[in-house]
Amino acid sequence: MKKTTSQKLKLGVFVVIGTALLIAALYSIGNRQNLFGNNIRIMTQFTNVNGLELGNNVRYSGINVGTVSKIKMVGDTRIIVEMLIQENISKHIKKDAVATIGSDGLVGNMIVNIIPRESKKPPVISGDTIQSYSKIGTDDMLTTLNVTNENAALLTADLLKITTKIIEGNGTIGLLINDSIMAKDLKQTIFQLKNTSTGASQAITDLKDIISSVKRGQSVAGVLLQDSLSGQKMKTIVNNLEQSSVDISQITTNLDIVLKDIKEGKGALHYLTADPTLVKDIDSTMNSIKEGTYRFNENMDALKHNFLFRGYFKKLEKEKKKEESFNKNNHEN
Amino acid sequence: MTQSLRIVERIKAFFTEIGDLSYFSGRFFKEVFARPLEFQELLRQCYNMGNRSLLLVGVTGFILGLVFTLQSRPTLMEFGAESWMPSMVGISIVREIGPVITALICAGRIGSGIGAELGSMRVTEQIDAMEVSGTNPFKYLVVTRITATTLMLPILIIFGDAIALFGSAIVENLKGAVSYQLYFNQVFDAIKYSDIIPATVKSFFFGYAIGLVGCYKGYYCKKGTAGVGEASNSAVVYTSMLLFVIDFVAVFLADIFFEI
Repeated sequence: MKKTTSQKLKLGVFVVIGTALLIAALYSIGNRQNLFGNNIRIMTQFTNVNGLELGNNVRYSGINVGTVSKIKMVGDTRIIVEMLIQENISKHIKKDAVATIGSDGLVGNMIVNIIPRESKKPPVISGDTIQSYSKIGTDDMLTTLNVTNENAALLTADLLKITTKIIEGNGTIGLLINDSIMAKDLKQTIFQLKNTSTGASQAITDLKDIISSVKRGQSVAGVLLQDSLSGQKMKTIVNNLEQSSVDISQITTNLDIVLKDIKEGKGALHYLTADPTLVKDIDSTMNSIKEGTYRFNENMDALKHNFLFRGYFKKLEKEKKKEESFNKNNHEN
Repeated sequence: MTQSLRIVERIKAFFTEIGDLSYFSGRFFKEVFARPLEFQELLRQCYNMGNRSLLLVGVTGFILGLVFTLQSRPTLMEFGAESWMPSMVGISIVREIGPVITALICAGRIGSGIGAELGSMRVTEQIDAMEVSGTNPFKYLVVTRITATTLMLPILIIFGDAIALFGSAIVENLKGAVSYQLYFNQVFDAIKYSDIIPATVKSFFFGYAIGLVGCYKGYYCKKGTAGVGEASNSAVVYTSMLLFVIDFVAVFLADIFFEI
């Protein structure tokens, strides 16, 4: 049962390939966890690491640049997270970069994201501590959602009460929905409102026309508003009216005094208006004057027939006739 | 009464066999470093158990990777998590499925072969003849075989894992248009030392168990041709059971030490 050389060769190849595969796999895994090569250590502080574990990836601008190497609680609320960062990448990470804890996808592992800043600060060196920023965790979001859910439940319960009342016809909205008479009235009201609005629209159109004509100065009001000359005249008129009203007021005062005097029996007018004896005397006087006038006419007729004054009256008649004939001729021409 | 006596007898037989196996194992550790080392026989056994099992392990691993990926794809697609396929398949194969399936296949092929070979040697009194001629049959037959299985099984498992992952990558490449580079990047991103080291360590124990049970059953084979068949059969059965026990213990210990 001796072994041939080919058997030994085949066994050697088998063992070498198998071992090489194992070593390659171990190296590949180790390399991804930054166990080989030059790394620097940087730290950051959090109050809550949201389930971050040793070996979780560290990303800078979305590139895997390292892993979490240590998570240490240093106080009641302070947690120091130490990260191994590839040395060739570390020159791009500035001292004011900010670390946050995120998730690799919706259900993925937790990761540390280092967010770059556009500053001229020097790059980080081993042992540096960079700033951190704690985002709202899933638990916080769920707590907020829980409160929202409770509020939604209360709102739903209230809405249910309101809708029940509406269905039963209670309250204004319930009455509006369920009462058919009110619906008819409402319909009628809306119809009338529609008519009113049509009328209002027409009125507004007319008003618009009026305003535009006023603006153009086509009416009295327009002239008053637009024509400055007319405005000046109006001002003068108003001034005159004001002066007149002052005069009228003065006159009224004087008349008042006169009337007062008359009432008090002062002056002739009092006798004319208030004294009945004077009225009788005047009436008697007028009758005497009328009778005197009649007698005077008789005397004048007697004079016309007297030979001393007859010539004079005939001369007057001739001049009168002459004037009438002259007027007639002018009128015909 | 007779039934309970029978049960007691079986329990006694079970514990007696465990005790025998422990003595057998102890003898192996006593003689493994003792001279002569029988290195040529060890290499021959390594070639028989390693190289000659490679085709079976490779084909099984390749089909395992293909089928596992094809079966898992629809479920992961339902959740929109098909991008997790390389990670899931990688971790499953490296951590558990690859070692266990390869070990079971080797238990069937190598364990039964050892049981039958040593059993037939016992039946035909070749082992007795070796003792008479001054050759230590335990050293020459048992130690070399157990050492060979212990050393070869981890390598076979590594090959099996690699071929299974390659089969899975082919399916992902054809069905999901995932490049081979992306696939293996995602696989190695997902796998940690805590996955690969316990799996490799337990594969040594798997190999040791296969060799130990196969040799024990064959070395203490009953007389007659039926004894050879029984030795071969029981070697496979006991080895398979032992593999699962070792797997459970390994996972339990890995959970304690690596917090997987």
